[in-house]
Amino acid sequence: MAVANVSSHDVEHHEHEHHDNFITKYIFSTDHKMIGKQFLVTGIFWALIGGFLSIVFRLQLGFPDMNLEFLRPIFGGWIDNTGKLDPNFYLALVTMHGTIMVFFVLTAGLSGTFSNFLIPLQIGARDMASGFMNMLSYWFFFLSSVVMFCSLFLEKGPAGGGWVVYPPLSALEQAIPGSGLGMTLWLVAMTFFIVSSLLGGINYITTVINLRTKGMSFARLPLTIWAFFLTAIIGLLSFPVLFSAALLLVFDRSFGTSFYLSDIYIGGEALPNTGGSAVLYQHLFWFLGHPEVYIVLLPALGITSEIIATNSRKPIFGYKAMIISMLGITILSFVVWAHHMFVSGMNPFLGSIFMFLTLIIAVPSAVKVFNYLTTLWRGNLRFTPGMLFSIGLVSVFISGGLTGIFLGNSAIDIQLHDTYFVVAHFHLVMGSASFFGLVAGVYHWFPKMFGRMMDEKLGHIHFWLTFVGIYMVFFPMHYIGIAGFPRRYYTWTEFAFSDMYTDLNMFVSAAAIITFAAQMILVFNFFYSMFFGRKASLNPWRSNTLEWTTPLHPQHGNWPGEIPSVYRWPYDYSKPGSKEDFIPQTIPLSATPESNLPHEEKLVNLEKEIIAEEGQILVANETKEES
Amino acid sequence: MEEKLSYEEGAVQPLSMHPKKFALWLFIVSVVMVFASLTSAYIVRQGEGNWLEFNLPDIFWYTSAVIILSSITMHWAYVSAKNDALDMLRLALIITSFLGFAFLVGQWYSWVALVDRDVYFVGNPSGSFLYVFTGLHALHLISGVIFLIIVLISSLRYKIHSQNMAQMEMCVTYWHFLGALWIYLFMFLLLNH
Amino acid sequence: MYGLLIAIGIVLLLSVIWMVYRIQALISVAKGSSKKIATTSNKVNAILMMVFLVGCTILMVWYSIKEFDNYQLPVASEHGVITDQLFWVTMAVTGFIFVLTHILLFWFGYRYQYDDNKRAAYYPDNNKLEIIWTLVPAVVLTVLVFTGWRAWKDITAPAPEDAHVVEIMGYQFAWEIRYPGKDNVLGDYDYRLINANNSRGIDFTDKNSFDDFPSQQVVIPKGEPVLFKIRARDVLHSVFAPHMRLKMDAVPGMPTRFWFVPTKTTTEMRAELGDDEFEYEIACTEVCGRGHFSMRRVITVLEPDEYREWVSEQESFIKRNPDLISDLPSDLKELAEIYINESK
Repeated sequence: MAVANVSSHDVEHHEHEHHDNFITKYIFSTDHKMIGKQFLVTGIFWALIGGFLSIVFRLQLGFPDMNLEFLRPIFGGWIDNTGKLDPNFYLALVTMHGTIMVFFVLTAGLSGTFSNFLIPLQIGARDMASGFMNMLSYWFFFLSSVVMFCSLFLEKGPAGGGWVVYPPLSALEQAIPGSGLGMTLWLVAMTFFIVSSLLGGINYITTVINLRTKGMSFARLPLTIWAFFLTAIIGLLSFPVLFSAALLLVFDRSFGTSFYLSDIYIGGEALPNTGGSAVLYQHLFWFLGHPEVYIVLLPALGITSEIIATNSRKPIFGYKAMIISMLGITILSFVVWAHHMFVSGMNPFLGSIFMFLTLIIAVPSAVKVFNYLTTLWRGNLRFTPGMLFSIGLVSVFISGGLTGIFLGNSAIDIQLHDTYFVVAHFHLVMGSASFFGLVAGVYHWFPKMFGRMMDEKLGHIHFWLTFVGIYMVFFPMHYIGIAGFPRRYYTWTEFAFSDMYTDLNMFVSAAAIITFAAQMILVFNFFYSMFFGRKASLNPWRSNTLEWTTPLHPQHGNWPGEIPSVYRWPYDYSKPGSKEDFIPQTIPLSATPESNLPHEEKLVNLEKEIIAEEGQILVANETKEES
Repeated sequence: MEEKLSYEEGAVQPLSMHPKKFALWLFIVSVVMVFASLTSAYIVRQGEGNWLEFNLPDIFWYTSAVIILSSITMHWAYVSAKNDALDMLRLALIITSFLGFAFLVGQWYSWVALVDRDVYFVGNPSGSFLYVFTGLHALHLISGVIFLIIVLISSLRYKIHSQNMAQMEMCVTYWHFLGALWIYLFMFLLLNH
Repeated sequence: MYGLLIAIGIVLLLSVIWMVYRIQALISVAKGSSKKIATTSNKVNAILMMVFLVGCTILMVWYSIKEFDNYQLPVASEHGVITDQLFWVTMAVTGFIFVLTHILLFWFGYRYQYDDNKRAAYYPDNNKLEIIWTLVPAVVLTVLVFTGWRAWKDITAPAPEDAHVVEIMGYQFAWEIRYPGKDNVLGDYDYRLINANNSRGIDFTDKNSFDDFPSQQVVIPKGEPVLFKIRARDVLHSVFAPHMRLKMDAVPGMPTRFWFVPTKTTTEMRAELGDDEFEYEIACTEVCGRGHFSMRRVITVLEPDEYREWVSEQESFIKRNPDLISDLPSDLKELAEIYINESK
């Protein structure tokens, strides 16, 4: 009974909260929808910064003779007197681009936005399990953002040892200037980020397990929720490990311990540290680092599943297989980390084991792709911008996923490790695919977020420019990678084997600039439609899931009356016999005798009994109250 | 009214676990992951050689006894709260807090004992790891003691009794977890130092 | 002045675009075209999918064939031939799947575009299909992994006893190369011994170091096993010899190794490529700081007898700089001096 008391109190609490002031509504909000939007807007901000940084280093790589004097107002002393970018700052740019994109855009911006926004709406809950913790989660992320942003403007530059910040480079200021204060701020920001992710993740898991509406069994959850749920579990298990790795790095940097440092002679002196192991850090880091790939990717796959089913007017093919493959990916993601370390000097026997484990994880990914294709087959496809980006996701996921088979094979990886082949691989399979998922989600749920539609035509133009652009940027990188061009190089002219492909690199850079510019269409469309877009109808995509049963502008608490119950799975599109080509989850099987399948026919009686029983209880309660 | 509420709750909450309690369990999972990663790092690093061997301070035996004792008194507090024996509850909570504090003091002396053996935080990783384990665990234990004191204050305000056990149960879970965590760490060190 | 004009121009252009956009949006609202689903734009998108598929396939095939000799690096080691073969087998398998899935993806997109008169097929699952496309990739992958594993096992097996040892030490931002001399055993080293005269920290109290000699290039014999002993002095580096298909991280405090058999001398490769300036190279592939992109060393592969001649011409460290042994205890010093005199 204690349980009931607390939560019913919450419900009343929500109903009283209609008159918020500006600060509680837009800033320190505990409403999951507002927090989701806060994550989204912060994510867009970071995406623009991260994209801009990549343009700067693409200028260096594509047009090495270019005079970058015009960037001096922004970068100051990092542009030298001849108009050249400083090599140390080049590394800082690469590092910050990676950190920002992986953590701030594709983790917080994607998972933070849509887990927050969609979980309560799609499972039928008033809000997250703890609105306060949810608010804290955003504000820790904000704090982390502020710290990371400040580090961009340090005199000695932000962290510059690559986004993986391998020690000793990241531990010794003598090795690279960015490993001084810049690295300290990086670690502080990441600590706040980990706290934010854990608070968020704990909340998502608790909400999905505890706060589903009546009838919303796990077998009726939309695939989005499954994806967010599993993502949160991965995060909960892997982020603490990053915390440990970072903690030991902090001790090495600031207190002089030797967890990762050993036998180092630098800057004309031998350091006292002995007995540390640099490879240990790599193990700890990649234990997070690899699951992180799936933290970034799974929500995008979940969003895509939902959008493709809705806009194909067809049930997602192999709902159970989709869930099983996501479960498989979740579990396997924890046992493949060392494939990032085949040539790190790790025991080659471990390399063999991780090669086998790594290629197993390709199987569930393949299953997902085939299921998407079969969902499209004999569908009735409506190319909304969200749908186009979802199809785009499937395409880049295939392209990037297949190259993973090369890299997971340790014998082939010897040559390809840390070349542009790797850059091409993960930018397609993780970067672009997750970005496409994010954008698809924005287009699809914009009407629910802001009650207005985004412009479709602009969306189409944006999609084609982005889709072609992404391939023009990343496909040529495969050739460059096979030719052996190493990553994180300021210029390739120092080596005879890589002193070529200036034309191709110029092409890549030009494509990157155009693709980045094309994203302004999205930014414009987003902010313009927020205020001036066409008013949305209640269920613009004719979708089945619960969020479309809320009012156009749901208040805190989401449904004005009782939360609707759920009677069916979310993918009853184009069911034979039914008049409309979709049947929302809230419609009982007994209301659709014309379209029920044989096994559902049996459930109808059970369902009727339950409804009748409830009716009795309700009546009984009401009479009791009256008396 | 009550019954109708419970009906609505039934609709909202298919699983009748208190969300906050569930969240605590998830938090415990993440703490477990931190220590699991640190202890596996310890093993990996130890396997690479160049490892300083030294004896663990004997005081760990005493602090382990203290923390086991505190778990017993915590259970005593829990039973008292369940039986509405409020005076006993307060007494048990006070004793538990005191034992927690004693544990922390004991851990401090273990550091002193380590320094006496010329094992410092800065030096061979085998010593550094020991400081990290104990220090990080002590930080969590401090949070546990603070939680205990909060519960103690609630009990002084008559807010904890057999009808209102959520906070108490969470505190008990967390405290037992911290005890078990220390015992795990101690056993781990005994077997692997 | 020009800046101001350009700015005004941009503002004007943007406002024109804005107006056009507003008018277009208002027209579409007035027409009520937003309610229809099978619109022209839906059709246009469907057609664009096919255009994209055909266009990109042509571009890809054309460029891959045209540029083949550019991106396919010549290979000059025994294991490199095997890994290259694995690479191209994998390329064939994945390339087939790549093309097939993309044809299906975009063809379905075009073929099943929205039609008001049609209805999608209700086709929620088919366990047989799921099992097929779980098993087939699993089998294909197993085959690929297994062949990869066999190659990996051979590559990482312990080096043959008679392998020629070369030590490569990375530091910011270059490589230092050391040869073990006649005994084929490198002398000990300790990072605390590093100073201006002894940049590698060689421990000259170890007699094995007496005949060790430095080199500006990595010189190795063709057709005989070579063992690279790799270490780093400051931060992580990674030895990458692209033509040898060789890569291994250099880790401070943890020596690593990689052995291989070169198959073509530099001269042979020059003749084959018709490039008189060709050199085998070593690069760094683990980010290590400012000069990461410039850590170049040349590998010269010689015929075995040329190699032995080259080795015999080299002068050891202590011969080049007798100061190195000045601090040694007297008995060792005598031995070292005997060594120097003998080799004269």
